[in-house]
Amino acid sequence: MSITRRVFFRNSALAVVGTAAVPSFLTRAALGAVEPSGRPQRLVVIFQRGAADGLNIVVPHGERAYYAMRPSINIPRKDVLDLDGFFGLHPSMSSLQPIWTQGHLAIVHAAGSPDPTRSHFDAQDFMESGTPGMKVTIDGWLNRTLHSMPAADKSAFRAIALGPALPRILSGAEPALAVNNISEFGVGGRNPNAAPISNTFEAMYSQSVDTVLHGTGQETFDAVKMLKSADPAKYKPAPGADYPRGRFGDSLRQLAQLIKANLGVQVAFADIGGWDHHVNEGSTEGQIANVLRDFSQALSAFWTDLGDLGEDTVVVTMSEFGRTARENGNRGTDHGHANVMFIMGGPVKGGKVYGPWPGLEQSQLYEGRDLAVTTDFRRVLGEAVTKHLGNSHLEQVFPEFENPAGKFLRYLG
Amino acid sequence: MPSQRRNFVLTASLLLTLACFAAFAFNKKKEKNASDPSQMDDSRRALHALQRLTFGPRPGDAERVAAMGVDKWIDLQLHPEKIDDSAVNARLSGFRTLGMETREIVENFPPQQLIKAVAEGKKPMPSDPVKRAVYQAQIEKLEEKRERKQDAAPQTTASTTPPAAGSPTQDQGAVDNSTGSDSAETSKPSVKDEQASKRREDRLYADLKAQELLDLPPDERMKQVLQLSPEAQRALSLSLKGQRGDDFTMGMNPKQKETLQALNNPQQVVGDELMQAKLLRAIYSERQFDEVMTDFWFNHFNVYLGKGADRYLVTSYERDVIRPHALGKFEDLLVATAKSPAMLFYLDNWLSVGPDSDVARGVSKNPYPRRRRGRFPPPPPRQAKGNGKRKNGLNENYGRELMELHTLGVNAGYTQNDVTEVARVLTGWTIDQPQKGGGFKFEERMHEPGTKIVLGHKIKEHGEKEGTEVLHLLAHHPSTAHFICGKLATRFVSDDPAPALVEEMAQTFLKKDGDIREVLKTMFHSPNFWGADTYRAKLKTPLEFVVSAVRAIGADVSDAAPLARQLNTLGMPLYGMQPPTGYSMKSDAWVNSSALLGRMNFSVALMAGRIKGVQADGDRLAGSASPNATDKVEPDPKQALARLESSLLAGDISKQTHDAIVKEIENPTGSSQATSRKNDKMPASSTGTIAGLLLGSPEFQRR
Repeated sequence: MSITRRVFFRNSALAVVGTAAVPSFLTRAALGAVEPSGRPQRLVVIFQRGAADGLNIVVPHGERAYYAMRPSINIPRKDVLDLDGFFGLHPSMSSLQPIWTQGHLAIVHAAGSPDPTRSHFDAQDFMESGTPGMKVTIDGWLNRTLHSMPAADKSAFRAIALGPALPRILSGAEPALAVNNISEFGVGGRNPNAAPISNTFEAMYSQSVDTVLHGTGQETFDAVKMLKSADPAKYKPAPGADYPRGRFGDSLRQLAQLIKANLGVQVAFADIGGWDHHVNEGSTEGQIANVLRDFSQALSAFWTDLGDLGEDTVVVTMSEFGRTARENGNRGTDHGHANVMFIMGGPVKGGKVYGPWPGLEQSQLYEGRDLAVTTDFRRVLGEAVTKHLGNSHLEQVFPEFENPAGKFLRYLG
Repeated sequence: MPSQRRNFVLTASLLLTLACFAAFAFNKKKEKNASDPSQMDDSRRALHALQRLTFGPRPGDAERVAAMGVDKWIDLQLHPEKIDDSAVNARLSGFRTLGMETREIVENFPPQQLIKAVAEGKKPMPSDPVKRAVYQAQIEKLEEKRERKQDAAPQTTASTTPPAAGSPTQDQGAVDNSTGSDSAETSKPSVKDEQASKRREDRLYADLKAQELLDLPPDERMKQVLQLSPEAQRALSLSLKGQRGDDFTMGMNPKQKETLQALNNPQQVVGDELMQAKLLRAIYSERQFDEVMTDFWFNHFNVYLGKGADRYLVTSYERDVIRPHALGKFEDLLVATAKSPAMLFYLDNWLSVGPDSDVARGVSKNPYPRRRRGRFPPPPPRQAKGNGKRKNGLNENYGRELMELHTLGVNAGYTQNDVTEVARVLTGWTIDQPQKGGGFKFEERMHEPGTKIVLGHKIKEHGEKEGTEVLHLLAHHPSTAHFICGKLATRFVSDDPAPALVEEMAQTFLKKDGDIREVLKTMFHSPNFWGADTYRAKLKTPLEFVVSAVRAIGADVSDAAPLARQLNTLGMPLYGMQPPTGYSMKSDAWVNSSALLGRMNFSVALMAGRIKGVQADGDRLAGSASPNATDKVEPDPKQALARLESSLLAGDISKQTHDAIVKEIENPTGSSQATSRKNDKMPASSTGTIAGLLLGSPEFQRR
């Protein structure tokens, strides 16, 4: 594979970015010691709920119209972390910059759903079901991803959501776990006196004649036992992996533990809210700066924490839609259309902003107000599903969407 | 292994289906044969009826039903008006919003838009002192929020809005972590110091004040609260959590309690009462079948409490739209939902504008302009007229779901064109002054002119009547009859009901003008309903599981909010299903690892008394026949097990489950507690633990 070759190129960049922890697989790979094939590949999906303002996240600082339309909330050119002379990261995302420089972070701008809805409610639903405009789809695309690919050994941790409930994106025919807190996944939580109760339940379910409950019961206790013996809690974050406090940081920290404990995680999901900035969005400081700092630091810590395992991991971020190109009367932004997606991972051909840029001149805006969608979100996800996870049945994952490999953005090479 | 399991399930369900067919054919031949092996024996009939028509049997219910006669009991349940339900009504009397008109709810428990309008002087501050206090506290909250936003504090909202009891998440949808996460509490370093300290001071003061007020009689206490400054009121309401809050509200009347809660979060009061009432009715109502059917139809015509105005529209929706028609004519129910503000809002029809309507074409207003005060959200006419940004304001959302989910069913032969035509027919069906909690209104100026064709029928231009005509057409369509009857049979008989049964029910539906009660009678009199293989064939949904457990142990529920929160954990938040499909009634949606662990943990916690607001007594449950025995002797565990197996599961317990519990009784595994009691004759397991194990067993997951 091309990883080894690319890693060589990156190494020079790594030397420059001395501060970022260098995943050791990079150095090993450079020495030609790693055989990447045959290892399980995993996909992590992050949802930014509430419609993140992509234009203030990956800033088109080369667009005059951007500054004209956002007099009070723009990110001044001098503060932007320049990426390629035209786009730049919001300054509070500096923790992601080294990953970009290493070539493990790619960006797709002007991505989104073709559905015109500006309702959080509908748009999230569509992005999770993977069928924009179709409300009756029962399962989520991430579940269908697993359903349409063979698996010899289905780990109980094959599909996992960090959070209290199984999100729509993972609901469907394949078993999927929702884990809010790995230390409380089991009967009776951490109470040692609950052990006999747990054992009794296990005996009931594993021997049950109830065909439906027997299977799931067994899976459940398999998962509980796997978790217990793998004891993911012992995997402390790697040095330099400083997760921010809060739910999102907790989610990614626990996810890294599950991955490091070798529990067979194939797809995972986590979400982060707090993006709906209708009033006083802020620019280099303020609301968006704060939530972006949290977001970026957690992702960067996750990347550092995974170390070698990052080589087999691809993380994709999404948000239901973008926000208006113009700021509104309350120094905020309203619901818009296209947005930005990040892709991070070992096999990612990063350091590049993908997707055609539609422009921000009045005539270029969608319905005269929003960034236009030039890349369907399913195009981006389809590439990860096919090229990273090796599932070529995209017609099942994203039904009624033409998604030939020839149209991929090729961010995975 | 899981794929093996799937095969298993597949084979099993195939066999089951075959068995159903066989059973049906068999029954046709010898219908009245009492010893028919395909039919349930008499001992099971009462229990089966209870499992399907109620939220689960209480201790003694099976005997009562058997004594009355199963058929007679079913007939009585089909006529809820004949059943006295004063006991549950007494339990609900504290929830004032249940009886309020939407307008009253909005006024008393103002949504944020209204607060903003008052804060900006667009609406007058109410003169009533109680309402005024609520409004002022909310304005204060708004300002606090604004200040913090200006100060660029991260994740501002969480600390000021504790999540409602079992409330569906806010605007942003399914998993909103701006509420309910404790992260914000721990990470807000950038709030300016002085403000933080001022707030700390306020809290401290509020704590002291609360302490001081506690010594006053309730009325006087409330009076004092109303005299506090808005800042102090808010701080006080925030400080009243948990036991503290219980103490403080002790002896207060419902209105006073609600007011205290409203000082902190008025909208939460509405959802909270709705959820508590739903659980209390499910647990205590004598009109059990009416509750089950209300739940069924609410789920069929699902609306989501977390979507904007639906937060205050759902109370009336359930009370005035669903419940009165639960056993009536399907068409009446359909029309009532179509005209309900809750549905009009939820599926966006209130915004749907005909592309050639006056509004879309910007034709100026009628000769007598109505006065429009500040509306929120802005009315569609004005929006569309404004700068002509949306020429085609047609919204197909409701038109599609109406056919797909409410009437004909998916793939029932209608086309995209039919969807568009139905949407055109229903343009102008909107809400009158939604911000004030107004009702249905037909707005001629939004209505699409011209003739429409729906399912091959010509619908002549006739304003509002076009909609009524289409609803009539849909309500009486054979596809609707089959779809609705299939769904009922899935809820009451099995996940894959026999086609012959559905057909029989559909015939009744069509013959009897969509009379729901008649359709149900057909179902309850069908041998399919009583087939031996339908006994305990349905997997309980989380709601059915939680309520049936509470009923089975005869627990006393003084506060249902903690139970509502349990349903969030179990994946079935009340009124919290975001997509219009409603919750699934089939087992596959509810069988997953975390859900199952959740059920086991709930069972254990319930019997250990760890669910607040629910008093469960395992000893009494397993205890002697004489409840007034004064000397309390711990019953022998094996005897207790036998009694509990009989009272919780009517003895329907597998050898595996029984043995697992016996093993635990005889030889408690590994725990320190167990080893220390090694030589005790009475092993570690208390009756509560045994009951918890039984409630969490595979057997109790079925009904």
